[in-house]
Amino acid sequence: MGYSTEELMIVAASKQIKNNEVVFVGTGLPMLACLVAKATHAPNLYMLFESGIIDPKPVHLPKGVGDFKLLKGATKSTSLNYVLTLLQGGYIDVGFLGAAEVDQYGNINTTYIGGTYDTPQLRLPGSGGANDIASNAKRTLVIMPHQKRKFKKNLSYLTTPGYLQGSDSRIKAGLKGDGPSRIITDKAILDFEPTSKKMRLLALHPGVTLEEVQGLTEFELVIPSNIETTQEPTESELSLIREFDKEGVYINKTN
Amino acid sequence: MSTENTKLIKLDKAASLIRSGSTITFSGFAHSVTPLAFIREMIRQRIGNLHLIGVGEAWAVDMLAGANMLSQVSFSNFMFEGYGRCKNFSRGVENGLIKVEDFSHFAQISRFAASAAGVPFLPIRSLLGTDVETSNHGKTSKIECPFTDETLLAIAAVKPDYAVIHAHRADQYGNVQLFGNSTSIDEQIRGSKTIIVTVEEIVPEEEISKLSEVNTIPSFLIDYVVEVPYGAHPTGMYKYYSEDFGHIDYYMDLSKTEEGFNRYLNEFVLDVNDQWDYLQKIGLKKLHQLKADPHLGYQLPNRLAKED
Repeated sequence: MGYSTEELMIVAASKQIKNNEVVFVGTGLPMLACLVAKATHAPNLYMLFESGIIDPKPVHLPKGVGDFKLLKGATKSTSLNYVLTLLQGGYIDVGFLGAAEVDQYGNINTTYIGGTYDTPQLRLPGSGGANDIASNAKRTLVIMPHQKRKFKKNLSYLTTPGYLQGSDSRIKAGLKGDGPSRIITDKAILDFEPTSKKMRLLALHPGVTLEEVQGLTEFELVIPSNIETTQEPTESELSLIREFDKEGVYINKTN
Repeated sequence: MSTENTKLIKLDKAASLIRSGSTITFSGFAHSVTPLAFIREMIRQRIGNLHLIGVGEAWAVDMLAGANMLSQVSFSNFMFEGYGRCKNFSRGVENGLIKVEDFSHFAQISRFAASAAGVPFLPIRSLLGTDVETSNHGKTSKIECPFTDETLLAIAAVKPDYAVIHAHRADQYGNVQLFGNSTSIDEQIRGSKTIIVTVEEIVPEEEISKLSEVNTIPSFLIDYVVEVPYGAHPTGMYKYYSEDFGHIDYYMDLSKTEEGFNRYLNEFVLDVNDQWDYLQKIGLKKLHQLKADPHLGYQLPNRLAKED
């Protein structure tokens, strides 16, 4: 069965989630990754949403974390403050993040690009819950497109902490969570070298070359001696994704 | 209680209470619970120069920014879920018309929670080591815990002059009920000075008590109540009506440019007399289509979608 890059990314992300984990979920591919994980190897996965919804069993695919479809079958319907307090309390295992820009230490910018803070060239949406997730979740997964203008030497603004200036600077800053564990792009899967905390290439998606990925990255990636190839999604995983998103909300968009 | 204690007022009167130049916060999360009828009335009355203190009320900020009514915004995230950046707001910041102060969601909700709890700050573990820690004009300060050796971030309380909230129902005394998740509404209400709540319907006091297991906000926290059916349109209200994605698509398309948004503003705000006039314009058929299914709490997918 043929598959799209998005479907490959969804399955790769779902494999990063273990059974019984508590996951802070965002809109888009993370939502599908969690639904796939729950339907396969992680049936006891708990999903939390910053809108204040915990453990939903939606019968229609929600269009976002603010969609009422998420209230269906929820174990608890509460507030933003409640779920973010759980996050700071250390109850969340995994959080998902997106990024407009990322640097070699996994720090993320979603605030502005170019110009100055007061008069930016491009004003972006801001942190939202991302800084809180990255500061406090036990680990985070970043999902983003692999483009040279996004994998940057220098960020316009550091919105969300990765490993800050590398090595132990994250711990020294007083951050409790362990930081980003994987970056999943449309080209590769990356992690961080344990000592320097510099971004490292872990796996290339089928058909993608090392040169291509380095060429789409402004800073130098750590390259290990053995680079894996990302596992292709199975037919049953693809059927699951296409059943969850039969209306084309997030993938294979119909409109 | 007698009717002398009523907090009911009309929408135009309620909007006229907001003074230009004040600080204000609105309910609203993604495409839901935003008091947009109230905001349309504020725009008609040209109440401007506002400092919005927000969490995620993208619709409120983008409408007010497009109408040039904001001078400053303190917030954590404004994004139209599924669509991306709030174009009017972003343009306002990029053109230097709107000053910003960034926080994270937890930092910002903690600022409301601090004022709700009557303390000048709360300690949090977010923002440390990032630019968000330093770019908000002294609203944060690193502190040593007096009991352990830990480094924490003190985040200053905030108390807006007004909180304007759209909820499901209330009695005339101001006991307010919300169905479903409450997003940031509880903290916004307890953390602000004057509270105006617009609701889908006014019900007798005993109806509130009959459903006391749902999230109820007690009347002593509320100053004014306004009955505004479909007051959140085009955003949705759980169990009442869904988001109007047709209208939302139209808004997103027009708000790409200033000229486009001005056309939207004329069509749906300035050339409209009041909320009833607005609902006439939206049309009975559309409002019926959006109606929530009583079992699901939202519009059945594709209801009547084929007929148009």
